[in-house]
Amino acid sequence: MSSEVHPAQRRFRVTRRGVLLGVGAAGAGLVVGAVLGRNHIYGAIGRLLAEGTMPGGGGETDPAVWFEVLPTDVVRLIVPKVEMGQGAHTALAQIAADELGAAWAQIEVVQGDTASGPADGMGTVGSASVSGLYTPLRTAAATLREMLVARAAQRLGTDRALLEAADGEVRSRADPGVSLRFGDIVAGVEEWPELDEAPRLKSPDEFRFIGRSMPRIDVETKLRGQARYGYDLRADGMAYGAVARPPQVGAIMVAAAPGSAAEHPGVIDVVIDPERQFAGVVAGTRQQAREAVAKLDIEWRTDRVWQQRDIDALLDVEDRAGIPIQKDGNAERVLEEATTLTAEYTAPLAAHAQLEPQAALADVTDERARVQVSTQMASAARGEIASALGFKAANVVVTPAYLGGGFGRKTGFEPGVEAALLSRAAKRPVHVGWTRAEDMREGFFRPPIRSRFAARIENGRIAALKHNHASGEVLFSFFPALLSYALGADPGAWRGAYNIYGRIEHRLLSTLTAKLPVPTGAWRGLGLFSNTFACESFMDEMAHAAGADPLQFRLDHLGDDRTGRRMRAVLEAVAERADYGRTLPEGRAQGVACCVDVGTVVAMIAEVSVEGDGTIHVHRVTQAVEAGLVVNPDGALAQAQGSIVMGLSSTLLEQVTLEDGVIVAENFDRYPLLTMDRTPDIDVVFLDSDEPPNGMGEPSIGPVAAAVGNAVFKLSGRRLRRVPFRPEDVAAGNHSLGGVG
Amino acid sequence: MQLRINGRTYDVSDDYAQEPLLWALRDGLGLTGTKYGCGAGICGACTVRLDGVATRACLVPTSAAASVEITTIEGLASEDGTLHPVQQAFVEQQVPQCAWCMSGQVMAAAALLDANPEPSEQEIVAAMRNNYCRCGCYARIKSAVALAAERKRGQSA
Repeated sequence: MSSEVHPAQRRFRVTRRGVLLGVGAAGAGLVVGAVLGRNHIYGAIGRLLAEGTMPGGGGETDPAVWFEVLPTDVVRLIVPKVEMGQGAHTALAQIAADELGAAWAQIEVVQGDTASGPADGMGTVGSASVSGLYTPLRTAAATLREMLVARAAQRLGTDRALLEAADGEVRSRADPGVSLRFGDIVAGVEEWPELDEAPRLKSPDEFRFIGRSMPRIDVETKLRGQARYGYDLRADGMAYGAVARPPQVGAIMVAAAPGSAAEHPGVIDVVIDPERQFAGVVAGTRQQAREAVAKLDIEWRTDRVWQQRDIDALLDVEDRAGIPIQKDGNAERVLEEATTLTAEYTAPLAAHAQLEPQAALADVTDERARVQVSTQMASAARGEIASALGFKAANVVVTPAYLGGGFGRKTGFEPGVEAALLSRAAKRPVHVGWTRAEDMREGFFRPPIRSRFAARIENGRIAALKHNHASGEVLFSFFPALLSYALGADPGAWRGAYNIYGRIEHRLLSTLTAKLPVPTGAWRGLGLFSNTFACESFMDEMAHAAGADPLQFRLDHLGDDRTGRRMRAVLEAVAERADYGRTLPEGRAQGVACCVDVGTVVAMIAEVSVEGDGTIHVHRVTQAVEAGLVVNPDGALAQAQGSIVMGLSSTLLEQVTLEDGVIVAENFDRYPLLTMDRTPDIDVVFLDSDEPPNGMGEPSIGPVAAAVGNAVFKLSGRRLRRVPFRPEDVAAGNHSLGGVG
Repeated sequence: MQLRINGRTYDVSDDYAQEPLLWALRDGLGLTGTKYGCGAGICGACTVRLDGVATRACLVPTSAAASVEITTIEGLASEDGTLHPVQQAFVEQQVPQCAWCMSGQVMAAAALLDANPEPSEQEIVAAMRNNYCRCGCYARIKSAVALAAERKRGQSA
């Protein structure tokens, strides 16, 4: 009874080639989906461990993505990935239209929900929407295309080989006048034979949409103010919910009573469940609900009042406590003989600050729940909401809405659970929209990191490099405890810390994952921003210690492996594009940094000046990137531009701190974001590649802080080892944590 | 109480009289194109026009807006659906990513161009720098506002 349109009820079956197909419910025409085969899954797990990405689709029998061809000639592409501005829906439509031979206008992208839509245990994370679905989607589309061609051949009384699919019709290659629209082909057909051979995938020279900057399909609706995000959801008879929040980090609800909340104007219901640490109010307006929450009589207990220095101390651990992640040669022995330089880098807790706070609308009846929520993780949300309600998961349907920014924060879905609990009690649809203060304080954060480096430089080269890394949790907060125990160190936390320079003979990376009193988790790129800041800044320090040019020093240490070759290409490209080494205007300098992430290689040069008071101006950021095949160049460019701006915001401004158990910032006055006047010119060059698509949503955020910091050093001789780069640090030079040994 | 919005008269519950206009629009009337970001007048996502002046709807009590003409993003396009030159330029330049801030960006830009049909780059930045975009679309916003200004001058010429 889970839903009217679950794939299983469409008589899907797994074919020899792992493609699901079946005839849909009344009028639905032909339906074809794709599951990720075992090879994809195994490959993806390997990549998870190597690069921090995860598989992109469903299980053995649930399709990861599927199509419906309707007799009306509409091709519906039902996708598991949510649209949060990254352009995934448009890029997936391009892939589908190309392989299918559809007309662009007939493709209708539909957001799948947990009942009618494709299974997607992974969620929309890891820059993997396009890279993870590229092959399964093409395979499904090609299968559908060949089935349509075969059926058309029968109808036209001709040979399949004489027909082609293009522009939404199957037509004769010899006589384009002989044709059938897709909708005509599927109309009235009940049984579809399996193909007798694997469908051929098109070669890149046949692509019409892949590789072109197709306009985003969601942009005009959004600019008209008509798109529905989680915070915009409405239903007949709906009310608004608000929930009591702990006064301090780690506070426990000991007892709760309605107090005078029920008498507050507009209040419909008061819901108290101390076992679940939950107390909330349903009222006619948001404001009434929030005011009434303040009238609840709640006793909180705080066992320990946490301070910022406690968090710092949890990362300030013995180096040998870490788990070795990367080990070549014997760095510790070589460094014991002689160490040239050491340094310590830190990055703070940071907020996602997506502009749409978390929100959800739930409608719960005795037996079933329908929840719409702006989340990157619909499947996980369904499980948790079902658990909170004591329902079977099959009786909960979660539909992701448009997301007003995700950046990892919306891997959470707390308002979905809260709205469901409140809706069940109030027996009506309830919307819960968090305030900015709730969004800043009640969620999870980018974890702080601390990186200690020691290096030995000999004859202008790195003889040995040791990196002792510590971080709060990233993925462990999502993983089952056993998996975390087995892995030992959180792969999300050390993302970006892995040393990419193949010519360092002795190197050691060890990492320690600390559970902090403040919850930490996924943030754009996971550990990438902070770790690349540390690693690539220290790379610069080593270059200066060696008396070498930082760019040449990097090139000299890259290996001849695949990563080394690709990185060399982007470093050389960015140097050319930015005219690296040219004479700059007085008071300006260039800094270079690079990273590898989700299979994409990025090199960046920042051109910077510094005012007398230490204020940093970033004038220009030049980036060269090789991301495999780029499905939508303008969309990929937008992701690079956005990542650079977000990275720069974190570099110059962003820091969450804790004081007396309270997150200090509750709004943008204490947590300002980068604005237009501080945004540099951004120039991005994409290198051609024969590889399949890699991720573009995150990699560009990696090198930003190091590129800027390295430029500031070149300009001022001041080494910045802590983000954000505050003017007072720049003016004073916070280089107390480095040393020459 | 009554509000004049996008050329029409709306009845809104008195519950919203003392609340910020933002919530009367969004929750009271279902005009959810105007977005909530901070509630403190910092981010600009809730920017609407009151008698043509770009205003943060999260800071204005609903009762104070009863006597003015309110324009929201839903009222910016023509009756026949033709996009406002600012919206059109934002589409052409493919400005938005998540677009949660975009109603505010578009309303602020439309007000700028009415007040200053030929803004310099510095004037565009000065007018738009108080609108946050977490997705980082600032360069595109800037160029789209310049394009809209050009178009608008062409239309009125």
